[in-house]
Amino acid sequence: MSIVVVLLSLAAGAYALAVIERWAVHGHLSLTGPAWAALALLGRESLLARKSDRLFFELGPVLLLVAGLMAVAVIPLAPGLIITDLATGALFLNAALAYVLVALIMAGWGPNGAYAMIAGWRFLGQFIAYAMLIVMPITAVAMRAESLSTVEIVASQEQLWNVLYQPMGFILFVVAAMGLAWLPPLDLPDATGELAGGVEAEYTGVRLAVLRLARMVIILALAGATVTFYLGGWLGPWLPGWAWSAIKILAVAAAMLSVGRYMPRIREARYLALSWKLGISLALANIFVVGVIALVVPI
Amino acid sequence: MTIAGAREGAMYGIRRAVAAAMARDLTAFVLPGPSVARSMGIDLANAHLRIVGTPRHANVLIIAGPLDVGLRDAAAVAYAQMPRPRTILALGAGDIAPLPDADVSAPLTQAGLHSELADLRRVVAAGAFRANTGEFTAAALEVRVEYTCPMHPEIVRDAPGDCPKCGMTLVPRETASNGHGGHGGHDMPREDRPNPADHAHAGHAHDAGGSGAYTCPMHPEVISDAPGKCPKCGMNLVKAEEVESHGPGHGHGHGGHGGHGKQQDHSGHDGHAGHGGHSKATIDGIEPHFMSMVELTEGQPRSSDGLQMDWIEVPFGPFFPGLPAGLRLTLTLDGDTVAASDARSLVCRAELVDGPQMTAGDFVERLAAMMPLGPVAYRTLACAAIEEAASADPGQDARRGRAAAVERERIASHLGWLAEFGTQSGFLWLAARAGALQLAVQGADIDGIAAQAGAIRALIRRVETAPLMRMRLGRIARIGTDAPASGPVDRARGGGADARTEDPTLKALGFEMCVREGGDALARLRLRCDEIAQSLDLIAAAGRIAVPQVPDVETVSGEGAATIETPRGAARLRVKLANGKVVEAELDTPTDVNIALVETVTAQRELGDALAAVASLDLSPWEVRG
Repeated sequence: MSIVVVLLSLAAGAYALAVIERWAVHGHLSLTGPAWAALALLGRESLLARKSDRLFFELGPVLLLVAGLMAVAVIPLAPGLIITDLATGALFLNAALAYVLVALIMAGWGPNGAYAMIAGWRFLGQFIAYAMLIVMPITAVAMRAESLSTVEIVASQEQLWNVLYQPMGFILFVVAAMGLAWLPPLDLPDATGELAGGVEAEYTGVRLAVLRLARMVIILALAGATVTFYLGGWLGPWLPGWAWSAIKILAVAAAMLSVGRYMPRIREARYLALSWKLGISLALANIFVVGVIALVVPI
Repeated sequence: MTIAGAREGAMYGIRRAVAAAMARDLTAFVLPGPSVARSMGIDLANAHLRIVGTPRHANVLIIAGPLDVGLRDAAAVAYAQMPRPRTILALGAGDIAPLPDADVSAPLTQAGLHSELADLRRVVAAGAFRANTGEFTAAALEVRVEYTCPMHPEIVRDAPGDCPKCGMTLVPRETASNGHGGHGGHDMPREDRPNPADHAHAGHAHDAGGSGAYTCPMHPEVISDAPGKCPKCGMNLVKAEEVESHGPGHGHGHGGHGGHGKQQDHSGHDGHAGHGGHSKATIDGIEPHFMSMVELTEGQPRSSDGLQMDWIEVPFGPFFPGLPAGLRLTLTLDGDTVAASDARSLVCRAELVDGPQMTAGDFVERLAAMMPLGPVAYRTLACAAIEEAASADPGQDARRGRAAAVERERIASHLGWLAEFGTQSGFLWLAARAGALQLAVQGADIDGIAAQAGAIRALIRRVETAPLMRMRLGRIARIGTDAPASGPVDRARGGGADARTEDPTLKALGFEMCVREGGDALARLRLRCDEIAQSLDLIAAAGRIAVPQVPDVETVSGEGAATIETPRGAARLRVKLANGKVVEAELDTPTDVNIALVETVTAQRELGDALAAVASLDLSPWEVRG
């Protein structure tokens, strides 16, 4: 039952995100636009690149979708409304999203085109920038909850949301999540002005539809993770838990999608340097501070 | 109603719904580029279209204005890369062969665009699918199979057979029918088309051909004419070509081996091998020949980071989003570092004077039409030079009006540059806002400019304070004071020249040359912002805008020269009149000077930085001498 409800909400969420993305990228706010676009995509030729690595080309988008769906499985939308409440949920989320890297490199390599290939390898560099900054803030969150279960993590924020308890971790996690979902200004692997679409450049028709859907699911999974870890999940007054989850997840996803509109893309070298020199130091400091607070003031 | 690029299949049931969806969801790839369309006054943002950066994601090819001959092959390639159903919408395009005829066409106006789009939607809804569809193959992408000997690459035959030198069976390989030229803006292969990279690969087989037919994947020095075992490690020998494609040092042959052909040209990089590279003698603890990669890459060029990577030659342009339309930039990439670059214009200007009977009016119109990114400045330049030759004086009022018209074009051009920068760097708010303001300013009268001034100044403030801006452009594409440069590129390095300092009209309006320190892409951005603000003041001071009229020079003879500071830098024109006809003309443009900087600013840069560097020069390929 939970699975059906979660998947249906996922579909609705992905659609809402597609509406927001169209607004952020093309400046059109249209409620029916993504539906027409999806239908049109299904009717278009799905070209297979010449001399492509067929296996990688076909599997890349599918693996991306699978990785996103697996990550969604441990996001609680309300008490009891979760596909699987693993004891190691937070870790599982991280493990599932590790396949995003694999999928993107496959999708970049597969079509045998220079732009896509460079984009795939760029994402490998990007992985080095964001990977530690996904794990280390989660560590601090789990320290407070004394559990890796996502349900426990939400419950631990009953008194005070983590966004206030560990604001540094929140910022680091959101930035890293945007890197993982290659959202602007961290959209190095599909930079339109630099690589003409990058990993997406060779995909058309149905395959492109799968790739875009997978991206939406990943953004939703990451917004869900942000809400679960830092914004108190389903917690909130007056409204039912699922409504709070929906509002928070969509708001976070919309913010992540549109912030890049107002700044230029970061340079890859700067991104790596900042993530390692500044980001990891801050993440370590965050773990230390959270540890001290957890010992001194138990809230 | 049908469309030339319909998808094969009968129109029934669900396909009708799909076709209706396609008619609503038009995604456009614009030729020569959205910036050119904007400077021709076409507002694509206001047309319920989505503009995309690759023909792969487009279902309509919009051609804005006459398509230059040099762009037509590339346009055909872009069309061939679009998935079916695909359509062509032509705005005042004229002859577009080898592209098929446009599905809808109209004159180059905003109203034309809107009515055409309505037509196009009807056509797509009715004819997206068709039972029998024709093939379209871009000539530039046609393949020819030829046969060559693996041992003697100089042997090339059109038919299979044996090598006359060694008797081996010739092996087939594919080549482009017309050499390497003419690839489109997008290096994107498709099942029925060759990957441009394959040409490079074929070239590579050429290089490797002399080394023997079979070799050990681990010990490349082992070469044998026949299959067998490696005497060193006992592995099965493989064909030499496979080692090149799949050997650990070379990756997959992916994207081609274009770089290998370039080795001799870039042997200067070998100097880097000293600190970055490995050789078997310097690796302790690893037995010699352990890593075939070390062997395979020995003596090959290395980039500044010292990493040995596959070199691939990647074409960018002439329709690449975020690069000037009409510019073909070929980058040889070593990993993602630019090892070599080649920038050339596919829309070079032709001779200014074609024929002995060119009147002054024809000449002015011709020059203005040749420069779609700066028609007013070049029109003013042509008029000024002709007046000089005829010793005519247009009068003080006309001079002020002209100066203001050129300043207005400068504002529009710099805003257009900002929009392009926004597109390239993903700063989409800037791309949309600057593009809209460019359209509003272009052609506006003095009140129109005054009405937009507040919004333009707000945009400039926002650009200068945008987060990540300094990180993105600071210290990118630094140009020293010794390299020749023109226009904002010149003035952004703490000095430089501006033809306007010589102009008494502008001096009277309060002109002072803007200068920025730094010489990098950030300084150029800021200088352009300063110039926009200054031009707003100058227009307000001039009080009138007047595009120059062709001077009346019916039977005059003489010579004259004029210099105008166009938005991209100083352009100088010298004309010779004989009996009122222009018989000789010579033009120097800023892009002639600045295009030479591409190699300097891209060398050893990461790909994204290199593209930002080229964009920061604000080249107009139409200005390049043919």
